[in-house]
Amino acid sequence: MSTAMNFGSKSFKPRPPDKGAFPLDHFGECSAFKERFMECLRHSGYESGACRPSAKAYLECRMERQLMANEPLEKLGFKDLIDEKSEGEPEK
Amino acid sequence: VVPGETALAFYKAKNPTDKPVIGISTYNVIPFEAGQYFNKIQCFCFEEQRLNPQEEVDMPVFFYIDPEFAEDPKMAKVDLITLSYTFFEAKEGLKLPLPGYQ
Repeated sequence: MSTAMNFGSKSFKPRPPDKGAFPLDHFGECSAFKERFMECLRHSGYESGACRPSAKAYLECRMERQLMANEPLEKLGFKDLIDEKSEGEPEK
Repeated sequence: VVPGETALAFYKAKNPTDKPVIGISTYNVIPFEAGQYFNKIQCFCFEEQRLNPQEEVDMPVFFYIDPEFAEDPKMAKVDLITLSYTFFEAKEGLKLPLPGYQ
């Protein structure tokens, strides 16, 4: 099994995540949101862009349950979805 | 996944033993050269995570591919990037040399 330990000419340097680690969702509090997101991916042929509203909902679930630090959604790349909302479009 | 667009992915981990396991994971990106464009915003890695006996958890990764990926001629033929994680059991007293993350 390959690991990141290549002592050859190039070395792969793992970088820590920008905003740190997600605590584990031990009680599955956001599992329903995850399922909805996965359903969307399956239906869209795994087009990540098509499922961004579901991804946003999942992250919002985490934030509401202290499973993720609160971060303005615009900073997480969802600015366009927020602008859509404020223009009066109903969210599904 | 489009470069510059944030994306969510899920892994699943299960502890099939009857004892809690404390693990820590690190990742790898293939092809190697694409790794520099892979940016994790948040994930489950690098920190110790505890899995109780028989517990199964979803492990999310929130990331984006640097838009400069699309400008790099070396990446022109790359249309598949694979992200893999290896979950190691944390041993007491062992400190993994995590680059700049303590």
